Amino acid sequence: MKTYGTEPTVPDPVQVGIAELAVVEGSDTLKSYGLGSCLAVALYDPGTEVGGLAHVMLPSGDDVDGADRKPGKYADTAIRALLRRMVERGANYVDVEAKLTGGSDMFEFESFGESVGQRNVDAARSELEKLGVPIVAEDVGGSRGRTVEFTPATGAVTVRSSSEGGEVCEL
Amino acid sequence: MKLDVNALGTFHRIAREGATLAAGRLTRLADVDTQVGVTKLNFMRGSELRREFEDGERVGIRVALSGGLEGHSLVVFDRESALRIVGILLEETEEFDGMTESAITEVGHIINGGHVDGWADVLETVVDVSTPEFVEGSGPEPFFEGIDDAPTGDDLAILFRSRIEAVGTEIGFDHYLFPDRSSMATLLDRIRTGEGVAYDKLEGFDRMAERGADEVAETVTTMTGIETAVEIRRLNFVALETIPRTVPDERLVGIAFEFDGTPSGYLLFLFDEESAHAVVDAMVPGGADGEGFDGMARSAITELGNIMASGFLDGWANVLGTTIDHSPPEFVHDIGAAAVDPIVVKLGERQEFAFVFDTVITADGRELDCEVYAIPDERDLERALDDLEVDRVEEAPTTAEFDSVEGS
Repeated sequence: MKTYGTEPTVPDPVQVGIAELAVVEGSDTLKSYGLGSCLAVALYDPGTEVGGLAHVMLPSGDDVDGADRKPGKYADTAIRALLRRMVERGANYVDVEAKLTGGSDMFEFESFGESVGQRNVDAARSELEKLGVPIVAEDVGGSRGRTVEFTPATGAVTVRSSSEGGEVCEL
Repeated sequence: MKLDVNALGTFHRIAREGATLAAGRLTRLADVDTQVGVTKLNFMRGSELRREFEDGERVGIRVALSGGLEGHSLVVFDRESALRIVGILLEETEEFDGMTESAITEVGHIINGGHVDGWADVLETVVDVSTPEFVEGSGPEPFFEGIDDAPTGDDLAILFRSRIEAVGTEIGFDHYLFPDRSSMATLLDRIRTGEGVAYDKLEGFDRMAERGADEVAETVTTMTGIETAVEIRRLNFVALETIPRTVPDERLVGIAFEFDGTPSGYLLFLFDEESAHAVVDAMVPGGADGEGFDGMARSAITELGNIMASGFLDGWANVLGTTIDHSPPEFVHDIGAAAVDPIVVKLGERQEFAFVFDTVITADGRELDCEVYAIPDERDLERALDDLEVDRVEEAPTTAEFDSVEGS
């Protein structure tokens, strides 16, 4: 039988696709590509270096049947699931901090109303407030896509603008 | 025999669970991390299905189903995927022998078992599965031979396309269900929650896809002078969140529209940067200034997109006998997923799944690829199909006058 992973290599970042979430520790890196109106929620506990990233698609799953099957899809269920999994891995609930990025409005369509991206931002802020998790940094809104990398060891969230020019900002 | 979005959603979930089960089993058998990639429900004409089998070698298993669900079920891998499975379970090989055949049969059987168990659960009955038969070859014959219910000609088949991702590799497989018609009708009655649309009307779907795609290819050829053809034309039924995952992770040039009528929805044309440059060079005499997509380049692509949208929706409106207006174009130059996710986020407020009319236009011998994503609002689509008289589809003219509503 073949064995894999015997060569010592730098681990690739774990990709967190749309509607997914993942929890890691230390210097492991989580990455989400091409967020438009979606929102990336990064939670971490600086003490234990346990952290997680959710690539949220919609504001609220509380009234949706079967939302528990895909907790990463909704801002509220994703934040609760991240916290639970982090605590299970040793994070201290009271020390957890949040960083938000994404929630752009890429198109001005009539059917989109005021803002599609902003609703995700509002939902995440309100759920975090309810749970007493402070938002320590955010880069939200605008009309550009973002690619996000997050490492719990430092709590650093690197946001790369994916439109022309491609500026990078660190949260 | 009628089906609705809920029934298709159930099919989708069963397919995904079948793939998850198989991925889990692979993990245990080979001690390799695996996860399920994208699962798609695909509609395909019998004639096209057979044509697809003409291309390349395939390996798989087929079983007969009886009891609660009558018919046949096939799990088919392309040769590369099959070799990867063998590579994971045994060792690298170039040929299929007794040993490798049994590895493929085992994996195929697990995937099939996952699906069949899902259907049995839905039907609350027992479905008997015959011993799996290993099949290999190029061309449709070895796979479809002796199966009366295999679709031919214009019959529309439902198939399930899934991917399992393992460390540094990917295994793709197609799962075909060829049920006996009355058996399928019972299954659909059980999982349908709404009125539903007659299965035969799904043919209208295929015509829509065909007309829309042809119109787009024609428009590009007329506007740029570059000969283009429809390379891929698929009608997929997918979970909304899988749509951005299938778009390339690179910066693309896109033109997006919302359309309103029967049906309503969103339409997006995506060019890779090289193709976008090719379009600009062909449309702007002497080429556009600079490398970017501002000014002239942007207006040329936006103009092309606008005419493509009119042609595409024109094709649909003709098939359906309805009127469809579209918004002014919105230009985007960004990572592909970022251009698609706002549409997915908006539709996600009301629906979990979407029909995606997935089309790829290519030019012979030149770099010009354009991916077309047309995603209708599912409620409108169901209504539009229900109103469709299948007989008139054939009579619909290919091209008709179409007025896009600017500034609406």
